[in-house]
Amino acid sequence: MKRTLLFFFLPFIISTYLSYILFIKACDYAMNVQAEKPLPFNHKTHMTKYNISNCEFCHGYYENGRFKGIPTVAVCKQCHEGKTAAEKIFFKNYKDTDTPWTSFAQQPDLVYFSHIAVMKNKKTAQCASCHGNKGVSMTTAKIKGKMLMGQCMDCHDSLKISNKCMVCHD
Amino acid sequence: MNKKWGMAIDLDKCTGCGACQVACMQENNMPIFKDDSDLPKRVTFLDLMKVTNDKDAKKKYGEVQVAFVPKMCQQCEGNNLGAHQPIPLETVKKRVLGGEKVFFPGITYDEQDNMLYKPEVVYTKDMVEDLEKKGVKSVYFDNSQPPCVSVCPVVATDVGDDGVVSQVWSRCIGCRYCQTACPYEARAFNWWNPRYEGDFKKSLNPDVSLSSRGAVVKCTFCSHIWKRERDKLLAKGEKDLNKVKYNPACVSACPTNAIIFGDLNDPESPVYAKKLNNDERAVRLVHSIDKADPKVREKWIAKKNYPNPKVYYLSSQKWLRDILVGFKNS
Ligand code: SF4
Ligand code: SF4
Repeated sequence: MKRTLLFFFLPFIISTYLSYILFIKACDYAMNVQAEKPLPFNHKTHMTKYNISNCEFCHGYYENGRFKGIPTVAVCKQCHEGKTAAEKIFFKNYKDTDTPWTSFAQQPDLVYFSHIAVMKNKKTAQCASCHGNKGVSMTTAKIKGKMLMGQCMDCHDSLKISNKCMVCHD
Repeated sequence: MNKKWGMAIDLDKCTGCGACQVACMQENNMPIFKDDSDLPKRVTFLDLMKVTNDKDAKKKYGEVQVAFVPKMCQQCEGNNLGAHQPIPLETVKKRVLGGEKVFFPGITYDEQDNMLYKPEVVYTKDMVEDLEKKGVKSVYFDNSQPPCVSVCPVVATDVGDDGVVSQVWSRCIGCRYCQTACPYEARAFNWWNPRYEGDFKKSLNPDVSLSSRGAVVKCTFCSHIWKRERDKLLAKGEKDLNKVKYNPACVSACPTNAIIFGDLNDPESPVYAKKLNNDERAVRLVHSIDKADPKVREKWIAKKNYPNPKVYYLSSQKWLRDILVGFKNS
């Protein structure tokens, strides 16, 4: 009896499982979880050895308040002069025009997320609040998972920042 | 935010050129459909409507007049009585200590625009003392209730802190309750999937999301431009968001400056509400409640929530004003 029941529900279970996987994959794709960054980069060395303590040193803002995101190779070259043989070879392989050189954590179309509004406002977050402690990581891989709306809302709630739809959506 | 964005449209200056409508559609990524003359199914935020004083074709030669009325979402406020008025904390304390049940119908903020309590929280002695300790001197509340917001089953539409009614297309399930509730037909339903021909897609505005088929869309007073201006101000180191100033796309596009935009609460802005309310030429689309005797008006408002739009129309022509307020024999 029990086995017949199992067989009866098997297709249902399989299809649920498959659609679950499909859904997760679609979410990951939409939020660009596996963003490709072709340049190997060690955050930890840059933080400790070269004493860069401010994330904005490389991840800054444009004049109009837009976040620069992943720095360009030109930014790297401001410090790495590209004179030694190793550096020459290294930077020869990476160009700003390389694809894919995608953004790190993409929000869906309906979100108007502005880094400067979160970081330079009256009440501010830390980079690590959303990205995890990136400063000590040795790769470019993502530490924390997707950024879901619940996380934003929890923070807004506890800091008594408005949670109206208009604050983030457009 | 102690802001209340509003708009005033001078119909005497309006030439009916339609630049506002074009600018609006471009700014908000409206697709172009095969037959956009199909009025009920057309997707547009801003309608340029032609009105005439010759509805029954009885006017003689030389008496006929026409006017163009740009009509978008009027960002209704509901009655919102007593909102945005600073209430001294001492008064609240006195009332609480006197054993009264003190609560406010909307979200309360302190004078620095920090959110304090959710709607209808009853104030206790401890809460007031806590606020006193934090140095709060006065509170104000906001309780906007547009007709379209309360009917939405999935909270796809909501009132922002600055009184602008937002709409999140991706959240909308397309039940169209809000479209029925809106007294101004300001909402449009997307009947078809948006199609952008040729290179059109490259010129889309990245700040506004695309709406798919089966969702209701509407004007949001270009709130993404506010966000853009806010970012610019923050980059300059300014943190007071009340200083953000912006103009929606239609306002910037109008060649005759017929549309002006600003803060209805600010005595220095060109659209100061109290000034406009006393203006002979100004009317709002509110079924003659505005122009009624003040006593009658109060009676009506006490009984019923009326839309209370934030868009004013100015005209020196009486027939046009009568049509706009909806008097019967117009
Ligand atoms: S059509 Fe969309 S926005 Fe309007 S009430 Fe229904 S779900 Fe809400
Ligand atoms: S009821 Fe209509 S005009 Fe009023 S805020 Fe809602 S959509 Fe806009």
